[in-house]
Amino acid sequence: MKKVAIKIINSAKIYAPEKIEDLDEKRLVPNMMMRRRLTRNSKVMLYLSDKCKFDGGKIVYGTCYSELEEAAKMANDVVTNGTLSPTSFQNSVYNTAPSYFSLINKDKDEIITVSSGMKTSLDTLKTAALQALISGESIFCVAIECINIKNIDEINRCTKYLEAGAAVVLEIANDESNAKEIEDLGVSGIMDSLQDLISVVNMHEQGIDKILIEL
Amino acid sequence: MKAYINNYELLCDAGDTKNLMNAIYAKESALVVDETYLPHATAGLGKMEYTTIFDVLEDIATKVLKESNLENFHDTLLILGSSVGGMQECENIFYKEKNYKNIDASRYSINVLTDHLVQKFGFYDARALSTACTSSANALLLAKRLIDVEAYENILVVGADGICYSTVLGFNALGVLSDKKCTPFDKDRNGMNVAEAVAALLVQNIKTENSVELKGVGAGSDAYHITNPDPEATGAMSSMLAAIKDAGLELNDIDYINAHGTATLANDKVEALAVEKLFNHSVYISSTKAITGHTLGAAGAVEAIVSCEVIKRSLIPSQTGLENQENENINIPRENIAMDVKNIISNSFAFGGNNASIVFGACS
Repeated sequence: MKKVAIKIINSAKIYAPEKIEDLDEKRLVPNMMMRRRLTRNSKVMLYLSDKCKFDGGKIVYGTCYSELEEAAKMANDVVTNGTLSPTSFQNSVYNTAPSYFSLINKDKDEIITVSSGMKTSLDTLKTAALQALISGESIFCVAIECINIKNIDEINRCTKYLEAGAAVVLEIANDESNAKEIEDLGVSGIMDSLQDLISVVNMHEQGIDKILIEL
Repeated sequence: MKAYINNYELLCDAGDTKNLMNAIYAKESALVVDETYLPHATAGLGKMEYTTIFDVLEDIATKVLKESNLENFHDTLLILGSSVGGMQECENIFYKEKNYKNIDASRYSINVLTDHLVQKFGFYDARALSTACTSSANALLLAKRLIDVEAYENILVVGADGICYSTVLGFNALGVLSDKKCTPFDKDRNGMNVAEAVAALLVQNIKTENSVELKGVGAGSDAYHITNPDPEATGAMSSMLAAIKDAGLELNDIDYINAHGTATLANDKVEALAVEKLFNHSVYISSTKAITGHTLGAAGAVEAIVSCEVIKRSLIPSQTGLENQENENINIPRENIAMDVKNIISNSFAFGGNNASIVFGACS
């Protein structure tokens, strides 16, 4: 099994107990019609990409629960009306957020969406490292969970922050000297599926920019 | 390092690999027209016979392992692609109880399928991908790249999706669900059939006497519309060109295209245009979804197995269900074509304009 050293170019994170209030949507998506179609995960992704100064290229996106708000809308529509909205359906797939990013930024590059349960952000980092190694390019690696839906308390037992996301722009480091393993610098209360990427963002904020990743 | 597909098996509406290939060559669609699944609409569906998707996963993985050169999967990476994961089980609970109280959150997402296989077989590691209908094609893409960089020697790629009520309703709401057996590339086609399947392929860095080479992969995004493909077909052309370049081939090296060919008005028109622009009439193309239906996240893996079989059997499948071809500038065979098949490209396209193309090659 192979390890590579990645270099973190930019990083960002955001989280809130219920709803992240200011995602700067009007500036990031001036077209009102497009803005109204965006899902919560899409808005968080656009915010994080802006913070990471990423506007195009290969994307590796991670989410364990995907577009839960849209999935919940569909399920409730089915039990109440026996039908569902085509908009909710098309917005419910796991790659919705990077797809909207691609539409807005006219980004025609590769998008991979990872959904590996509580190790989603670790596998997102691994996949991004592979994409960087294969392409020699900078990769946008982002993981998001937005689970702020009505009656979430019926099922949520441990997540304090119902909306959270983290992102890095990474590339393959020239050498492995001083590269660190991922340290446990997560934020308590954020879903475990995001903790590895949150840790990498926190390492970057502490001045550590070279990290070892097993592919 | 080269990547080889050494063993595989599947279950779909037509049965296992052998039964599926027999159905494809005999033009016997395994789709059924179901008048009761949806309350106010008739739906063509591709249903497999099974108890739970977990049983099918276990059975297919066991069969692949048994036929392989491996004693177990302990040094093998699992990469699974699925569009719905555990939604089938969870939506049934919600529809019955109308609340989330008895839904186990860990059984909702995509990884419930990988977790089950890891628990049963002890894989070294596992990853789950979900890019809608390109999910398992992208799993093959990652597998090829991981072998390329010598990160793994053995990777089991799985595509798996069961039919979910909300998925069928959703495609119906989008107006792309056919009320009959789908007819890809036909002028009078009226949509797709939602279907289910589990397909697994063992990708290794060694060649065996049964190997088919996983020769090239290409992917990209349309950046055009959240569900409709770019009418100029630039995304579809781009992913095919990238895969051919990655394989170290030229356009005229491709003998057959196993099309995405869902039979929706938009997909088939655009995919045909992409093939017309790139290949003109020089390459055979057909869609086996006329037999299997659209197995969504499993489609890339299902059609990878079909592509491997076409190479081994030296027999290009004709297009089932075709009466009035819409685009006459592409070469859709009406009868099976016996010929030496060296290279095949298989396309998968998805919501969000996510495109993936995979090139499979005969091993000399």
